[in-house]
Amino acid sequence: MKRARIAHKGAAVWALLVDNDSALRLGDGETISVAEAHWLPPITPGASIFALGLNYADHVKELGFKAKEPPLIFLKGANTLVGHQGATVRPDDANQMHPECELVAIIGKPARHVPAGKALDHVSGYTIACDYAIREYLENYYRPNLRVKNRDGATPLGPWIVDAADIPDPQNLRLRTLVNGQEVQDGSTRDMVLDVAGLIAYLSQTMTLSPGDMILTGTPQGVHFCAAGDEVICEIEGIGQLTNRLIAEPKA
Amino acid sequence: MIAGNIYGVVLNDRPQLAQMADGFAIPPYRTPPQAPVLYIKTRNCLAPGGGDVPLDADLAHVEIAPTLGLLFGCAATKVSRANAPACVAGACLALDISEPEASYYRPTVRQRCRDRFLPFGNLHAFDSGILKASIGTSINGVDLHAWSPERLARDAATLIADISSFMTLAAGDLLLIGLPHDAPRAGPGDRVQISCAGLSPLAVHFHRAGAA
Repeated sequence: MKRARIAHKGAAVWALLVDNDSALRLGDGETISVAEAHWLPPITPGASIFALGLNYADHVKELGFKAKEPPLIFLKGANTLVGHQGATVRPDDANQMHPECELVAIIGKPARHVPAGKALDHVSGYTIACDYAIREYLENYYRPNLRVKNRDGATPLGPWIVDAADIPDPQNLRLRTLVNGQEVQDGSTRDMVLDVAGLIAYLSQTMTLSPGDMILTGTPQGVHFCAAGDEVICEIEGIGQLTNRLIAEPKA
Repeated sequence: MIAGNIYGVVLNDRPQLAQMADGFAIPPYRTPPQAPVLYIKTRNCLAPGGGDVPLDADLAHVEIAPTLGLLFGCAATKVSRANAPACVAGACLALDISEPEASYYRPTVRQRCRDRFLPFGNLHAFDSGILKASIGTSINGVDLHAWSPERLARDAATLIADISSFMTLAAGDLLLIGLPHDAPRAGPGDRVQISCAGLSPLAVHFHRAGAA
């Protein structure tokens, strides 16, 4: 089952994908075509948003780092999220802005001191994030710093959440990023340094994870700098395709 | 109420910046910080009204940094320094608790985002007078620390303007305006009280997790 959050008749509502993902069925039974949908990021308000840096062996090597122990975890605010078919601003001076396709695990049950062997029982579903980075804005303080990773609307999320039951093995999914149709990332979640279960176990050692919390699990290799006007598609096997367009900074 | 993101800022204490000036030039930092150095506290940290804070067995003690939280009443996006205070609706005392960590190189999620690691006091209508007040901290009845936001390298208005140049501080967001580098430490059994003229005081009791 796939659940999407859309804007409909002035409200943010959850809807189920039906008819081979061609339509959305709302809670009251009304059905609309996906072509009419105004997609919102599928997030529960208030959720904590965790993200991973350097969590794919190939990407770590590409950037010239050694694999980090402990894992490099950072946080995002909800201001960063934008839904499927949304737009993300590329600042005029961001010549090194690149997309990062990431598997997102959504917590379904509170988790505290959960061992890795039971961690996936606490996942309700999965979605896709495009965690854009802008390398010019990196500073060596709490890196990756918020000026890089917490920009308004610079983390497309969606298009929907696929139930965990429909993703029996989250560590064997192909991820790809296409920029204007050209493949710039092609990896597999099997190359994660710390897998979804390991991340939940690690986080829940020191804090309580709550339903709706999200973990963006990092990105494989493939650093491709984008321009305003580019269409960026992040794709994960078994979940779908998340589409975003980069736009120039609006002029004041 | 606090309905949005909770942001804090480090390296905003003038005496600390002076002390660290030489260190900023060498790896891993290499150059002094340009943008405000921000962190996020997650929702599990919220401890409204203070009260009990459990410390896991791996923590002998924690750093307890008394600060002010500013609650936004409207969205601040690319606001000027002059217009920044108008975005602030409320204020409270807050105690930012963390596992002591000397390095500012990597984000400190594990150190800062444990359960109930952000006790905060009653929210009051924002009055800019609190930005000049002294914030006092006592532990087990002994006054141990005092500081004032007048020590901040970026004052509240400058901080909001600089942050809002690259991200929105939205209505319902809380901004912790800076931490004293000489913040005291506390451990299981300690009773901490922080106070500031114009704001409700905040009392926190640390105990070993699992113990009553």
